Amino acid sequence: MATKGSNSIHRSSSRPLLDLSKAEIQGNVEEKYPTILLPNQSDDLSHLALDIGGSLIKLVYFSRHEGQSTNDKRMKILKDKLGILNGNRRSYPILGGRLHFVKFETNKINECLEFIYSKKLHCGGWESHHSDSTNDQNAVIKATGGGAYKFADLFKERLGISLDKEDEMDCLVAGANFLLKAIRHEAYTHMEGQKEFIQIDPNDLFPYLLVNIGSGVSMIKVDGDGKFERVSGTNVGGGTYWGLGRLLTNCSSFDELLELSQKGDNRTTDMLVGDIYGTDYPKIGLSASTIASSFGKATLENKELEEYRPEDISLSLLRMISYNIGQISYLNALRFGLKRIFFGGFFIRGHAYTMDAISFAVHFWSKGTAQAMFLRHEGFLGALGAFMSYEKHGLDDLMVHQFVERFPMGAPYTGGKIHGPPLRNLNEKISWMEKFLQKGTEITAPVPMTPPGTTGLGGFEVPLSKGSTLRSDASALNVGVLHLIPTLEVFPLLVDPKMYEPNTVDLSDHSELEYWLTILSEHLPDLVDKAVASEGGTDDSKRRGDAFARAFSAHLARLMEEPAAYGKLGLANLLEMREECLREFQFVDAYRSIKQRENEASLAVLHDLLMELDSLDEETRLLTLIEGVLAANIFDWGSRACVDLYHKGTIIEIYRMSRNKMQRPWRVDDFDAFKERMLGSGDKKPLPHRRALLFVDNSGADIVLGMLPLARELLRRGTEVVLVGNSLPALNDVTAMELPDIVAEAAKHCDILRRAAESGGLLVDAMTNTLDGSKEKLPSVPLMVVENGCGSPCIDFRQVSSELAAAAKDADLIILEGMGRSLHTNLYAQFKCDALKLAMVKNQRLAEKLVQGNIYDCVCKYEPAY
Amino acid sequence: MDPRRAETGKNSDQIQSGHVYHLALDIGGSLAKLVYFTKNDEHIVGNEKKKSPLKASGISNSSRNSPVLNGRLNFKKFETSKINDCLEFINSMKLHLGGCQQPESPGSQTITIKATGGGAYKYADLFKEKFGISLDKEDEMDCLVAGANFLLETIHQEAFTYMGNQKQFVWIDKNDLYPYLLVNIGSGVGMIKVEGDGKFERVSGTSIGGGTFWGLGKLLTKCKSFDELLDLSYRGNNRAVDMLVGDIYGGMDYSKIGLSSTTIASSFGRAISENKERDDYKPEDIARSLLRMISNNIGQISYLTALRFGLKRIFFGGFFIRRHPFTMDTLSVAVNFWSKGEAKAMFLQHEGFLGAVGAFMSSDKHGLKELLANQKVERPPSKLSFSLDQTQVPQQDGELNGDESIECSVYGA
Repeated sequence: MATKGSNSIHRSSSRPLLDLSKAEIQGNVEEKYPTILLPNQSDDLSHLALDIGGSLIKLVYFSRHEGQSTNDKRMKILKDKLGILNGNRRSYPILGGRLHFVKFETNKINECLEFIYSKKLHCGGWESHHSDSTNDQNAVIKATGGGAYKFADLFKERLGISLDKEDEMDCLVAGANFLLKAIRHEAYTHMEGQKEFIQIDPNDLFPYLLVNIGSGVSMIKVDGDGKFERVSGTNVGGGTYWGLGRLLTNCSSFDELLELSQKGDNRTTDMLVGDIYGTDYPKIGLSASTIASSFGKATLENKELEEYRPEDISLSLLRMISYNIGQISYLNALRFGLKRIFFGGFFIRGHAYTMDAISFAVHFWSKGTAQAMFLRHEGFLGALGAFMSYEKHGLDDLMVHQFVERFPMGAPYTGGKIHGPPLRNLNEKISWMEKFLQKGTEITAPVPMTPPGTTGLGGFEVPLSKGSTLRSDASALNVGVLHLIPTLEVFPLLVDPKMYEPNTVDLSDHSELEYWLTILSEHLPDLVDKAVASEGGTDDSKRRGDAFARAFSAHLARLMEEPAAYGKLGLANLLEMREECLREFQFVDAYRSIKQRENEASLAVLHDLLMELDSLDEETRLLTLIEGVLAANIFDWGSRACVDLYHKGTIIEIYRMSRNKMQRPWRVDDFDAFKERMLGSGDKKPLPHRRALLFVDNSGADIVLGMLPLARELLRRGTEVVLVGNSLPALNDVTAMELPDIVAEAAKHCDILRRAAESGGLLVDAMTNTLDGSKEKLPSVPLMVVENGCGSPCIDFRQVSSELAAAAKDADLIILEGMGRSLHTNLYAQFKCDALKLAMVKNQRLAEKLVQGNIYDCVCKYEPAY
Repeated sequence: MDPRRAETGKNSDQIQSGHVYHLALDIGGSLAKLVYFTKNDEHIVGNEKKKSPLKASGISNSSRNSPVLNGRLNFKKFETSKINDCLEFINSMKLHLGGCQQPESPGSQTITIKATGGGAYKYADLFKEKFGISLDKEDEMDCLVAGANFLLETIHQEAFTYMGNQKQFVWIDKNDLYPYLLVNIGSGVGMIKVEGDGKFERVSGTSIGGGTFWGLGKLLTKCKSFDELLDLSYRGNNRAVDMLVGDIYGGMDYSKIGLSSTTIASSFGRAISENKERDDYKPEDIARSLLRMISNNIGQISYLTALRFGLKRIFFGGFFIRRHPFTMDTLSVAVNFWSKGEAKAMFLQHEGFLGAVGAFMSSDKHGLKELLANQKVERPPSKLSFSLDQTQVPQQDGELNGDESIECSVYGA
């Protein structure tokens, strides 16, 4: 990627670059976190870039991902089986990591310097092996913004680093291009207080107009990477608003002035069309409330400045400037045939009201044919661009599917009540949460709120404010940490990845959001108990559990207040956020002991179940197997209703009771179609599937009594089976790490499973013990396990692990099991192969919404390859 | 008498001894403008010379049983606050002898006058009560466009450019006049695409106009009048309040993007300084900065709008400009800047009278247009047909003072 000649971003050649030659993984490959040694890389490699503006310092830095081991035996065999070779995959100079976005106020630059120092970002950023670097003196950090000049000496003195200045506009454009191409739903529109996220096809991005509203306004036509031109601008910008505002009011800050505008009424200062014509002027399409002359009313009255409300003046100014910028931007976009207009700069950052005003202007002047768009990471365009100006920043070729954005607690400016200082470690995070409590600003569980209303008046007759608080820079700019996972891929069997939308529940519907936030909120105490117990119930774990609860509640409260706070929000994102939040407070696996217990209990009765199944004829067996999957899916700790059930019986009792209730027809019942594909009709015997991917859900009965018997049936019919498990724990979902052990245990009761598991490399250790008995039999088709790349009870097929993607290549059947993967997400997903979606609906609302049914209804949806 | 060869003469203040016909009014917020025709006293109706063009073009007089009158089209201004002077003036002209009587009530005292502008509504009762004159209201924009079209088509030295204190008349072939952009800078700014007589559309505009200049100026300085504010602006220096490109890039041009160090990067961008209050800035500088901000912006939006609709020329008018060469200069600079020299701002000699002329034209009783059209057939326009002696007009004036006339002919009532 470094050799890409087309990238014309100016690069300084004066500093050493990341040299990857002779890079190797040092030490035992079995080691959990092998250290990457870059012997030819000089020590000043930095993964920090700065944008030092007049009011804010923006940092973008990269930290190496503390990834899991991918070098266990299972993987080695899997790679052979699936043909995953390192040579087939791209080799990345960055093995994955996290891109962090941090802000400081420029007048508190010391905090920034301390932060850089504490994170050792000034000496290379690789905390693990540069902690005692003595080569700090030559470190060069890319920087942009006016402060890159102003504070150059300070950085040199305090941290011993030189700032390598990059052109502001180069950085701006590079940052915008990167974000628009690599981050899903980066762009959004903002009309009448409502955000709507837009997915832009990276191949259809250029040319666009980037309007940067700082003191003045620059309008940049962007034709591609490094291809841009400043085509226009206006001297009426943020500086004009703040400058005139200061002269006309007694405001002492830009934010104060802006806040005033929300309470203003510009009719006292502006001359409206109605003031002139007494009514609308329909002949030229102007309504009475259209501003005919900004501040025109002041010419008609003999009033002193002091007699005008500063609120009204501020609003009048804001509209004057926003409308003007919107108008000129639209005319320029039109002039150059640019499809989209993106607005950014300090005048806009996080200010809902400014965005509304500009959006209105673009809408007004374009007669609805154009829309103003904004970027979620807008404040970081320059810093990102500076980061990209490193010769080998590693971000060049990354794609949307390789990023996962997460919103950790304690990232600075996470938003609203939960924004805080940059927190360096877990302890600081917990302290921060506790401090919240002491300050009396306790975060409460979400309370129902009225839907974020529009004024209903349209236009701008009254200020459109949401709530009484200003969405200031700090609270509205919710930028998470970008987890860069180069191994993530788009699931190859999706019919149309561009049209694919995993979520079936749209949380932009306020009542929907309220419902799910309440569900999560109610479920929280139970989850905290489980989490604390999983860590042995120590004082430390209690403290962390408490902090987790507060942090997660704060997220929920934030989302209730502003649903779009973290970008486009689906139920899958919400559920993943909970898991991520747990991990953040170092609860590795809250359901660990429960999962173990249930696995054991289920495995104990597996033998009896298999005997029962084997006594049935083929057709009855298939039905019983599907019934079994649906019945076993009742064991779900994610469902409140089911948790209550657990107290009423043993696993096998519940399982049998549940299965006996499986009266067909199910709510969605494609079993006959599936059966015909499997068994054919009459004499026609269809070919078995070549390979089936089984996306498993819960531990315990679900996997052992439901999915494993189904897998066994497929194996028996000559179909390769790949069990797809989560990469990271989520609730009581079975993980890819746990599956081999479960399979090994099950294999003790079943020859079919044993041989398939051996063939799939899952029983490497056990092989020698069982070799004798199996020698005379034919080699079995393999049973394999892959991880899905997720740490959530749902699955987003745009971002799956590379091993799953590789396994999918030969697959012609996928079976999605459980609510998270086949109802919350993917119910409507279309695949290029046969797909069976199986779930028991364990939520009344979901049942009503998705299948027009009731709780405990079953879904058996079969769709032949599209 | 071809108006294209007519001389504009300063009438001084006296009313010509001749009769007044065909009066029209434009009563704005600050000025009331009058356009009216006076017959040359000694000219005889049915003069040979006058008749010939009509005969030659085969136009029958059947529809018009009126004689053709030769005389002058007069322009006159009053301050709206002194509307009584205006009324006196009209009254003294013995309009009842002119062509403004309602046809159905000849000889009666009810006289109807075409009028436009906001004051046409506001003062309607006053005209009625005092002199029994009823005002026939015409749409402002219709009048504006009709007036501009008439003047640009008819008067040879009507359009001019103004840059660096240099006024230069531009000859426009009337066959190549349309489409053009008419930018009317009043309190707000209307931008009208004109494609022909009666064919126009308000395509754009901006709320940042004369009212913004005067409104903000009033709040920021102690000025008592628009003119005072404008006077201040001549003496100001916007560097004190504006952030220039040089302020950002250390006195150097930001040549990479083609901006010179004196380009305004942010109007009032320097006024954010924490240790300065409003009183620490000179009103002159504030006025200057305001003027440049607003002119620059209007120039830019006008240029972009002209570009959008493929309009060849941009004519600026309205009270923001009238009589103010400095304003014309800043507008011209703006258009020049944004168009990279490709477009020029143009102004109209009779700019202040567009509405009044338009109102005048809205009645066709006088047949001015018709007569002119016929004359055109016979006599192609000559470059010398109309001249304006620069020395007659004070340099401070962007236009005629309002007491001039054009020689022409009309039908009598």
